[in-house]
Amino acid sequence: MESAVTEKHRMVDNIAISYTGIFDTEILSVLAKEIEGTLSPDDKVNKKVFKIFIELAQNIAFYSLEREANAEGNDTGVGTMIIRNFDDHYVFSTGNKTTMENIIPVMEKCDNINSMSREKLREYRRLQRNMPAGEKGGGNIGLIQVALTASNPLEYSLIKCPDGTYFYIVSVRIDKE
Amino acid sequence: MEDIHIEGVHEAFFTPTVNFEVATGHCEISGESYLEETSKFYARLIEWMKKYIAEVKGPLTFDFKLSYFNTSSSKCLVDILDVLKKYQNDGGKIEVNWYYDDTEEELEEVEDFILETGLDINKIPIEI
Repeated sequence: MESAVTEKHRMVDNIAISYTGIFDTEILSVLAKEIEGTLSPDDKVNKKVFKIFIELAQNIAFYSLEREANAEGNDTGVGTMIIRNFDDHYVFSTGNKTTMENIIPVMEKCDNINSMSREKLREYRRLQRNMPAGEKGGGNIGLIQVALTASNPLEYSLIKCPDGTYFYIVSVRIDKE
Repeated sequence: MEDIHIEGVHEAFFTPTVNFEVATGHCEISGESYLEETSKFYARLIEWMKKYIAEVKGPLTFDFKLSYFNTSSSKCLVDILDVLKKYQNDGGKIEVNWYYDDTEEELEEVEDFILETGLDINKIPIEI
Protein backbone atom coordinates (compact mmCIF):
# COMPACT_ATOMS: atom_id res chain seq x y z
CA MET A 1 0.00 0.00 0.00
CA GLU A 2 1.53 3.32 -1.04
CA SER A 3 0.89 6.52 0.84
CA ALA A 4 -0.25 9.73 -0.79
CA VAL A 5 3.19 11.19 -0.16
CA THR A 6 5.09 8.63 -2.22
CA GLU A 7 2.46 8.92 -4.93
CA LYS A 8 2.87 12.67 -5.16
CA HIS A 9 6.13 12.13 -7.00
CA ARG A 10 4.07 10.90 -9.91
CA MET A 11 1.31 13.43 -9.66
CA VAL A 12 0.56 13.07 -13.37
CA ASP A 13 -0.27 9.34 -13.22
CA ASN A 14 -3.76 7.89 -12.85
CA ILE A 15 -5.53 11.23 -13.16
CA ALA A 16 -9.31 10.97 -13.07
CA ILE A 17 -10.09 14.69 -12.81
CA SER A 18 -7.75 17.63 -12.76
CA TYR A 19 -8.26 21.36 -12.87
CA THR A 20 -6.05 24.41 -12.55
CA GLY A 21 -7.43 27.93 -12.51
CA ILE A 22 -9.82 30.17 -10.70
CA PHE A 23 -11.87 28.49 -7.92
CA ASP A 24 -15.01 30.34 -8.82
CA THR A 25 -18.51 29.18 -7.84
CA GLU A 26 -19.56 28.38 -11.42
CA ILE A 27 -16.47 26.29 -12.12
CA LEU A 28 -16.71 24.52 -8.77
CA SER A 29 -20.26 23.49 -9.61
CA VAL A 30 -19.07 21.89 -12.87
CA LEU A 31 -16.35 19.98 -10.99
CA ALA A 32 -18.85 19.01 -8.28
CA LYS A 33 -21.16 17.50 -10.92
CA GLU A 34 -18.29 15.44 -12.35
CA ILE A 35 -17.42 14.10 -8.91
CA GLU A 36 -20.99 13.40 -7.83
CA GLY A 37 -22.05 11.75 -11.03
CA THR A 38 -19.22 9.98 -12.76
CA LEU A 39 -16.12 9.52 -10.64
CA SER A 40 -16.84 6.12 -9.12
CA PRO A 41 -19.62 3.55 -9.56
CA ASP A 42 -19.99 3.61 -5.76
CA ASP A 43 -22.22 6.49 -4.62
CA LYS A 44 -20.85 6.29 -1.08
CA VAL A 45 -17.32 6.90 -2.37
CA ASN A 46 -18.50 9.73 -4.64
CA LYS A 47 -20.18 11.39 -1.70
CA LYS A 48 -17.00 11.19 0.38
CA VAL A 49 -14.90 12.71 -2.41
CA PHE A 50 -17.56 15.36 -2.94
CA LYS A 51 -17.60 16.34 0.75
CA ILE A 52 -13.81 16.64 0.76
CA PHE A 53 -13.88 18.62 -2.47
CA ILE A 54 -16.31 21.23 -1.10
CA GLU A 55 -14.24 21.92 2.01
CA LEU A 56 -10.82 22.04 0.31
CA ALA A 57 -12.03 24.00 -2.72
CA GLN A 58 -13.49 26.65 -0.43
CA ASN A 59 -10.11 27.01 1.26
CA ILE A 60 -8.50 27.76 -2.11
CA ALA A 61 -11.24 30.24 -3.06
CA PHE A 62 -10.78 32.09 0.24
CA TYR A 63 -7.09 31.76 1.06
CA SER A 64 -5.00 31.27 -2.09
CA LEU A 65 -2.36 33.96 -2.48
CA GLU A 66 -2.86 33.97 -6.24
CA ARG A 67 -6.10 35.75 -7.07
CA GLU A 68 -8.12 36.70 -10.12
CA ALA A 69 -11.39 38.43 -10.75
CA ASN A 70 -14.18 36.09 -11.90
CA ALA A 71 -16.80 36.94 -14.57
CA GLU A 72 -18.73 39.08 -12.05
CA GLY A 73 -15.55 40.89 -11.05
CA ASN A 74 -15.30 39.20 -7.63
CA ASP A 75 -11.81 38.47 -6.34
CA THR A 76 -11.35 34.67 -6.19
CA GLY A 77 -8.50 32.29 -5.37
CA VAL A 78 -6.56 30.40 -8.03
CA GLY A 79 -5.33 26.88 -7.46
CA THR A 80 -5.13 23.27 -8.59
CA MET A 81 -7.22 20.21 -7.89
CA ILE A 82 -6.26 16.66 -8.86
CA ILE A 83 -8.14 13.42 -8.24
CA ARG A 84 -6.14 10.28 -8.98
CA ASN A 85 -7.73 6.87 -9.27
CA PHE A 86 -5.91 3.74 -8.03
CA ASP A 87 -7.06 0.13 -7.67
CA ASP A 88 -8.36 0.39 -4.12
CA HIS A 89 -8.38 4.12 -3.43
CA TYR A 90 -8.50 7.67 -4.74
CA VAL A 91 -6.07 10.43 -3.82
CA PHE A 92 -7.59 13.88 -3.68
CA SER A 93 -5.10 16.76 -3.79
CA THR A 94 -5.40 20.51 -3.89
CA GLY A 95 -2.61 23.04 -4.27
CA ASN A 96 -2.37 26.78 -4.02
CA LYS A 97 0.15 29.56 -3.63
CA THR A 98 0.78 30.87 -0.16
CA THR A 99 3.36 32.53 2.07
CA MET A 100 5.39 30.83 4.78
CA GLU A 101 3.75 33.06 7.36
CA ASN A 102 0.22 32.05 6.32
CA ILE A 103 0.85 28.35 5.85
CA ILE A 104 2.67 27.50 9.09
CA PRO A 105 -0.53 27.58 11.19
CA VAL A 106 -2.32 25.44 8.56
CA MET A 107 0.44 22.80 8.64
CA GLU A 108 0.28 22.85 12.44
CA LYS A 109 -3.47 22.25 12.21
CA CYS A 110 -2.86 19.26 9.92
CA ASP A 111 -0.27 17.80 12.34
CA ASN A 112 -2.65 18.32 15.23
CA ILE A 113 -5.53 16.63 13.38
CA ASN A 114 -3.30 13.72 12.32
CA SER A 115 -2.21 13.14 15.92
CA MET A 116 -5.78 12.61 17.12
CA SER A 117 -7.79 9.40 17.38
CA ARG A 118 -11.14 9.37 15.60
CA GLU A 119 -12.94 9.85 18.92
CA LYS A 120 -10.76 12.86 19.77
CA LEU A 121 -11.28 14.28 16.31
CA ARG A 122 -15.07 14.03 16.69
CA GLU A 123 -14.81 15.79 20.04
CA TYR A 124 -12.68 18.49 18.41
CA ARG A 125 -15.27 18.94 15.65
CA ARG A 126 -18.03 19.36 18.24
CA LEU A 127 -15.94 21.97 20.02
CA GLN A 128 -15.13 23.87 16.82
CA ARG A 129 -18.74 23.79 15.72
CA ASN A 130 -19.80 25.68 18.82
CA MET A 131 -17.39 28.51 18.11
CA PRO A 132 -18.88 31.57 16.45
CA ALA A 133 -17.76 31.97 12.82
CA GLY A 134 -14.62 34.02 12.40
CA GLU A 135 -13.43 33.41 15.94
CA LYS A 136 -9.83 32.25 16.40
CA GLY A 137 -9.54 28.57 15.54
CA GLY A 138 -12.93 28.56 13.84
CA GLY A 139 -11.39 27.79 10.44
CA ASN A 140 -10.25 24.35 11.55
CA ILE A 141 -13.55 22.65 11.01
CA GLY A 142 -13.16 22.15 7.25
CA LEU A 143 -9.88 20.25 7.70
CA ILE A 144 -11.31 18.20 10.59
CA GLN A 145 -14.23 17.28 8.37
CA VAL A 146 -11.87 16.21 5.56
CA ALA A 147 -9.90 13.94 7.92
CA LEU A 148 -13.07 12.41 9.38
CA THR A 149 -14.67 11.88 5.97
CA ALA A 150 -11.56 10.25 4.48
CA SER A 151 -10.65 8.31 7.65
CA ASN A 152 -7.06 8.93 6.61
CA PRO A 153 -4.38 11.46 7.58
CA LEU A 154 -3.92 14.80 5.86
CA GLU A 155 -0.62 14.77 3.99
CA TYR A 156 0.92 18.03 2.93
CA SER A 157 4.00 19.36 1.23
CA LEU A 158 5.43 22.74 0.44
CA ILE A 159 7.33 23.69 -2.71
CA LYS A 160 9.35 26.89 -2.89
CA CYS A 161 8.54 29.01 -5.95
CA PRO A 162 11.18 31.13 -7.74
CA ASP A 163 9.37 34.33 -6.69
CA GLY A 164 9.87 33.53 -2.98
CA THR A 165 6.29 32.38 -2.37
CA TYR A 166 5.33 28.74 -1.70
CA PHE A 167 3.05 26.21 -3.35
CA TYR A 168 1.17 24.25 -0.71
CA ILE A 169 -0.27 20.82 -1.53
CA VAL A 170 -2.62 18.89 0.71
CA SER A 171 -3.53 15.30 -0.19
CA VAL A 172 -5.86 12.80 1.33
CA ARG A 173 -6.51 9.18 0.48
CA ILE A 174 -10.07 7.91 0.10
CA ASP A 175 -10.37 4.14 0.25
CA LYS A 176 -12.81 2.35 -2.05
CA GLU A 177 -14.41 0.42 0.84
CA MET B 1 -47.33 34.35 11.57
CA GLU B 2 -46.86 32.55 8.27
CA ASP B 3 -45.54 29.21 7.08
CA ILE B 4 -42.12 28.98 5.45
CA HIS B 5 -41.92 27.24 2.09
CA ILE B 6 -38.58 27.22 0.30
CA GLU B 7 -38.08 25.14 -2.81
CA GLY B 8 -34.69 23.42 -2.89
CA VAL B 9 -32.22 24.38 -5.62
CA HIS B 10 -29.26 22.37 -6.87
CA GLU B 11 -27.16 24.76 -8.91
CA ALA B 12 -23.82 26.43 -8.16
CA PHE B 13 -24.94 26.41 -4.51
CA PHE B 14 -27.44 23.99 -2.97
CA THR B 15 -30.46 25.35 -1.16
CA PRO B 16 -32.36 22.85 0.98
CA THR B 17 -36.12 22.44 0.71
CA VAL B 18 -37.78 23.91 3.79
CA ASN B 19 -41.37 23.52 4.98
CA PHE B 20 -42.30 24.99 8.36
CA GLU B 21 -46.03 24.88 9.21
CA VAL B 22 -47.57 27.09 11.86
CA ALA B 23 -50.83 25.09 12.14
CA THR B 24 -49.16 21.74 12.90
CA GLY B 25 -45.71 22.75 14.18
CA HIS B 26 -44.27 20.34 11.63
CA CYS B 27 -40.93 21.46 10.24
CA GLU B 28 -38.91 19.70 7.57
CA ILE B 29 -35.52 20.52 6.09
CA SER B 30 -34.52 18.25 3.22
CA GLY B 31 -32.19 17.98 0.26
CA GLU B 32 -28.74 19.55 0.33
CA SER B 33 -27.32 22.51 2.20
CA TYR B 34 -24.33 24.34 0.74
CA LEU B 35 -25.13 28.03 0.59
CA GLU B 36 -23.50 31.28 -0.35
CA GLU B 37 -24.87 33.04 2.72
CA THR B 38 -25.40 30.23 5.19
CA SER B 39 -25.99 32.27 8.36
CA LYS B 40 -28.46 34.57 6.64
CA PHE B 41 -30.46 31.60 5.29
CA TYR B 42 -30.70 29.85 8.65
CA ALA B 43 -31.29 33.07 10.63
CA ARG B 44 -34.70 33.31 8.95
CA LEU B 45 -35.57 29.76 10.08
CA ILE B 46 -34.40 30.40 13.63
CA GLU B 47 -36.38 33.65 13.76
CA TRP B 48 -39.49 31.69 12.71
CA MET B 49 -38.88 29.10 15.45
CA LYS B 50 -38.46 31.76 18.13
CA LYS B 51 -41.66 33.49 17.03
CA TYR B 52 -43.57 30.19 17.01
CA ILE B 53 -42.28 29.37 20.50
CA ALA B 54 -43.21 32.83 21.82
CA GLU B 55 -46.62 33.19 20.13
CA VAL B 56 -48.03 29.78 19.21
CA LYS B 57 -46.39 27.84 22.06
CA GLY B 58 -47.42 24.58 20.36
CA PRO B 59 -45.52 21.34 19.78
CA LEU B 60 -42.65 21.23 17.27
CA THR B 61 -41.80 18.20 15.17
CA PHE B 62 -38.57 18.48 13.20
CA ASP B 63 -37.64 16.18 10.34
CA PHE B 64 -34.09 16.59 9.09
CA LYS B 65 -33.68 14.81 5.74
CA LEU B 66 -30.46 16.31 4.47
CA SER B 67 -28.41 14.11 2.18
CA TYR B 68 -25.56 16.62 2.25
CA PHE B 69 -24.59 19.65 4.33
CA ASN B 70 -21.25 21.44 4.45
CA THR B 71 -19.49 22.39 7.68
CA SER B 72 -20.86 25.96 7.63
CA SER B 73 -24.38 24.54 7.45
CA SER B 74 -23.67 22.12 10.29
CA LYS B 75 -22.94 25.06 12.60
CA CYS B 76 -26.37 26.49 11.79
CA LEU B 77 -28.03 23.09 12.29
CA VAL B 78 -26.55 23.06 15.80
CA ASP B 79 -28.13 26.50 16.35
CA ILE B 80 -31.55 25.09 15.37
CA LEU B 81 -31.10 22.12 17.72
CA ASP B 82 -30.05 24.49 20.54
CA VAL B 83 -33.32 26.43 20.13
CA LEU B 84 -35.25 23.15 20.30
CA LYS B 85 -33.35 22.04 23.40
CA LYS B 86 -34.07 25.31 25.17
CA TYR B 87 -37.77 25.04 24.27
CA GLN B 88 -37.86 21.52 25.67
CA ASN B 89 -36.15 22.67 28.88
CA ASP B 90 -38.79 25.39 29.18
CA GLY B 91 -41.56 22.79 28.93
CA GLY B 92 -42.19 22.78 25.16
CA LYS B 93 -43.18 19.55 23.42
CA ILE B 94 -40.71 18.58 20.71
CA GLU B 95 -39.78 15.63 18.55
CA VAL B 96 -36.67 15.50 16.36
CA ASN B 97 -36.13 12.92 13.62
CA TRP B 98 -32.86 12.73 11.72
CA TYR B 99 -32.76 10.74 8.49
CA TYR B 100 -29.24 9.84 7.44
CA ASP B 101 -27.55 7.81 4.72
CA ASP B 102 -26.81 4.46 6.30
CA THR B 103 -23.04 4.72 6.69
CA GLU B 104 -20.89 4.65 9.83
CA GLU B 105 -19.63 8.17 9.22
CA GLU B 106 -23.10 9.68 8.88
CA LEU B 107 -24.35 7.84 11.96
CA GLU B 108 -21.42 9.40 13.85
CA GLU B 109 -22.53 12.83 12.64
CA VAL B 110 -26.01 12.37 14.12
CA GLU B 111 -24.54 11.00 17.35
CA ASP B 112 -22.28 14.04 17.54
CA PHE B 113 -25.28 16.36 17.15
CA ILE B 114 -26.89 14.52 20.07
CA LEU B 115 -23.75 14.81 22.23
CA GLU B 116 -23.28 18.42 21.26
CA THR B 117 -26.80 19.63 22.04
CA GLY B 118 -28.02 17.14 24.65
CA LEU B 119 -31.16 16.64 22.56
CA ASP B 120 -32.90 13.33 22.15
CA ILE B 121 -32.85 12.76 18.37
CA ASN B 122 -34.46 9.78 16.63
CA LYS B 123 -31.90 8.29 14.25
CA ILE B 124 -33.51 6.94 11.09
CA PRO B 125 -31.17 5.22 8.60
CA ILE B 126 -31.90 5.38 4.86
CA GLU B 127 -30.49 2.78 2.46
CA ILE B 128 -28.27 4.27 -0.22
